[in-house]
Amino acid sequence: MSTYSATTVSATTAPATGAATDEAEQLRAELRAVARDLLASGAAPSAGTPSAGERKDDGEADWAQLAEAGWLGLEVPEQLDGAGVTFAETAVVCQELGRAAVRAPYLGTAVLGAGVLLAAEPCAGRDELLGALASGAPRLAVALPTGDAALGARAAAVSFRLAGGAGGATTLDGRADFVPDAAGADTLLVPALDEAGAPVVVRLDPAQPGLEVTETPVLDVSRGVGSVAAAGAVVDPGAVWPLVGDGWSALRLLHARAALAVACDALGVAEAMMETTVAYVGVRQQFGRPIGSFQAVKHGCADMFIQVSVGRGLVADAVRALASVGQDVGGATAPDLAEDLAAVETAVSRAKSYVGAAAVDVAGKAMQLHGGIGYTWESGVHRYLKRAALSRSLFGSPAAHRARLARRFD
Amino acid sequence: MATGRTREMTSVAPAARDLAELRAELRAWCRANVPTGWRRAQTGIGDEEFVAFQKDWFQRLRRAGYAVPHWPAEWGGGMSAAEQMVLYQELAAADAPRLVLAFVSIHHAASTLLTAGTDEQRRRHLPAILDGELWVQGFSEPEAGSDLASLRTTARRESRPGGDVFVVNGQKLWASGAVHADWCLLLARTDPAAPKRRGISYFLLDMCTPGLDVRPIRNAIGDAHFCEIFLNDVEIPAENLVGPENAGWQVAQATLAAERGMTMLELAERLGNVGLRALVDTCRTPGPDGRRPIDDTLVRDRLAGFDAEIAGLRALCRDLVERHDTGAVGPADASVVKVYYSELLQRLTGFGAEIAGLAAHTELAKPASSGWESGAWLLDFLGSWEWTIPGGTNEIQRTIIGERGLGLPREP
Repeated sequence: MSTYSATTVSATTAPATGAATDEAEQLRAELRAVARDLLASGAAPSAGTPSAGERKDDGEADWAQLAEAGWLGLEVPEQLDGAGVTFAETAVVCQELGRAAVRAPYLGTAVLGAGVLLAAEPCAGRDELLGALASGAPRLAVALPTGDAALGARAAAVSFRLAGGAGGATTLDGRADFVPDAAGADTLLVPALDEAGAPVVVRLDPAQPGLEVTETPVLDVSRGVGSVAAAGAVVDPGAVWPLVGDGWSALRLLHARAALAVACDALGVAEAMMETTVAYVGVRQQFGRPIGSFQAVKHGCADMFIQVSVGRGLVADAVRALASVGQDVGGATAPDLAEDLAAVETAVSRAKSYVGAAAVDVAGKAMQLHGGIGYTWESGVHRYLKRAALSRSLFGSPAAHRARLARRFD
Repeated sequence: MATGRTREMTSVAPAARDLAELRAELRAWCRANVPTGWRRAQTGIGDEEFVAFQKDWFQRLRRAGYAVPHWPAEWGGGMSAAEQMVLYQELAAADAPRLVLAFVSIHHAASTLLTAGTDEQRRRHLPAILDGELWVQGFSEPEAGSDLASLRTTARRESRPGGDVFVVNGQKLWASGAVHADWCLLLARTDPAAPKRRGISYFLLDMCTPGLDVRPIRNAIGDAHFCEIFLNDVEIPAENLVGPENAGWQVAQATLAAERGMTMLELAERLGNVGLRALVDTCRTPGPDGRRPIDDTLVRDRLAGFDAEIAGLRALCRDLVERHDTGAVGPADASVVKVYYSELLQRLTGFGAEIAGLAAHTELAKPASSGWESGAWLLDFLGSWEWTIPGGTNEIQRTIIGERGLGLPREP
């Protein structure tokens, strides 16, 4: 049975009156508790000792179990058997995955996959995939540019192009690196510009000719990233789906989702490191007393608490902004939409830049306050530090997000 | 989880339309009432002019119902937390003068009277505060700063024909605004034999009482709003005791915590409005070489960093106020806000002074009635220690966060 089914959350789709907001908050609290429980027990094996040549310590989650819990179909509309809720719920799962430092193709599948499908005009192929998210356990990857450049010029937000000769087949060319969950994906979704220069999304089988998907080994083994390269890959015209509205707004929103989801993950990492450290310094004895009683240590923990608190506030603001715009970029009127999107991007850049850096600080402080044991492989602190560091870079570094924020002051 | 926080509770949002109406009303009121050019007019003025300006501004706010929104309705307040948030957001957006002079009166004194005062004490003082009665806080002493509970000022009960009095002797320090004050919130030791937190009492002291000597102390920026108060056989009638005798420490704790949320929200809104605007202006002003600092990548990076951090501060303050409303405040939440605000202010004003460069050194006065984001950056920067030191230094606050917020063991 689904832990987070459509029926349990249908009330949250009501207009946001005070009571409904409260109810949505309560349901998110429930989702958080369930997710924390599930990830702490069965779905995520704890970090063990590495065995030679094998990555047994990557914290791989049981994907079927996460799908069973209903986490892939959170934002899928109810008529397609999803829960029909918003990004605010997806954000909860992202934060909990970070907190548990779990490896799962959630970013590729539920954040970006569901995001790009919901941004596409409804059609049979799109609806079928959305339905699979709600009732199956697919693994999706979205070949979106993930570096700093994507925050700059509009055209840098998409790195694939469609081309087609008269009478000939339509083909795809382009490349994206550090694509989340690329290597294990059973379906690739590739944002591209069509021949007219309009943004579309193309569905592809990763194994097809002309397409090369390569895993990129990274130090953070709790995550999978890879390259997607297309060179004259032949595209089925029925698998090219236009994005709602002019397409560009939908793309911007997709990038905002990606950056914010990573910020949520980083916040979860920071929370976990703060709590682990507080627990440790409360019991570790030196000089005949717990080291947490010493000011230097205690004040270090207080600084973690302050950073986590500020990060929570910024993430909550950004999630609220993003969830309120939702996927409604096709219907909104142009001036409103431009204003809303700018507000979302501002909130996301604030959250991503602050939390991206803060999570590395907090995890680094955790390693320091754990002393020698914190530097060991066995303690697992390194997994969080690596995860925080990857989150800091993925979908825009703090500096790139601040550069975007600063443009408002010109 | 050791953090002792409840995150998922928020207040039921009042109907959105009412708040929108209030916001519109406030905007119109601010347009009509905020004195234009007050910053320039308030720069370099004398003390009397400052006091007159503050009193006038207070009465204007009072007439509109905006002076003491946090008080209960029966005493002239009655705004919900959500409404107060809108009020402070709009006052900040309109760059209205701050209520500097009446701060202790409408916050500390009022919250003391409302939480621990008798009906008679409330009737005597709350309306008077609305009419302009000014209060000062007499807590700290030369030997009792961060360790406030070790205060040495004594109050000895004596019988008189007209009723018991307490005879007070000692010295108070850092009493902000004591020169102008009509009344003082005084902590004094009534039982020297008791453990230090159990022998303190809380008094309301009339500043006209014989035996009082108030001496201003010039501070780092040259102002003299901090004072020393010397008390030499000062007699306080027993009916001016607040709460039970020897329970003054508990009364002080309860009243200090009561007003943190909304006053911090106001300061955060100020920083987010006029503070950030002034900083952006400074960064856009060409230097002696004709170049604008904002065209430098490093300057842009830091400016955007402050923008994000101010947004974080505002979110923290909103959260604190909302949880005050629902009774879900964590034991260290106010300390988190105090540390974060004060250190952000220090970094931000320090950056302003750095960017403004030599020109910042020529601004010898900043506007009275403003906060610490006046744009006279070097003075703002110097003044920022007025936030990292008082009210429990940031070192004390971090210890509170560690022990009460995170449950860490007490210090050696």
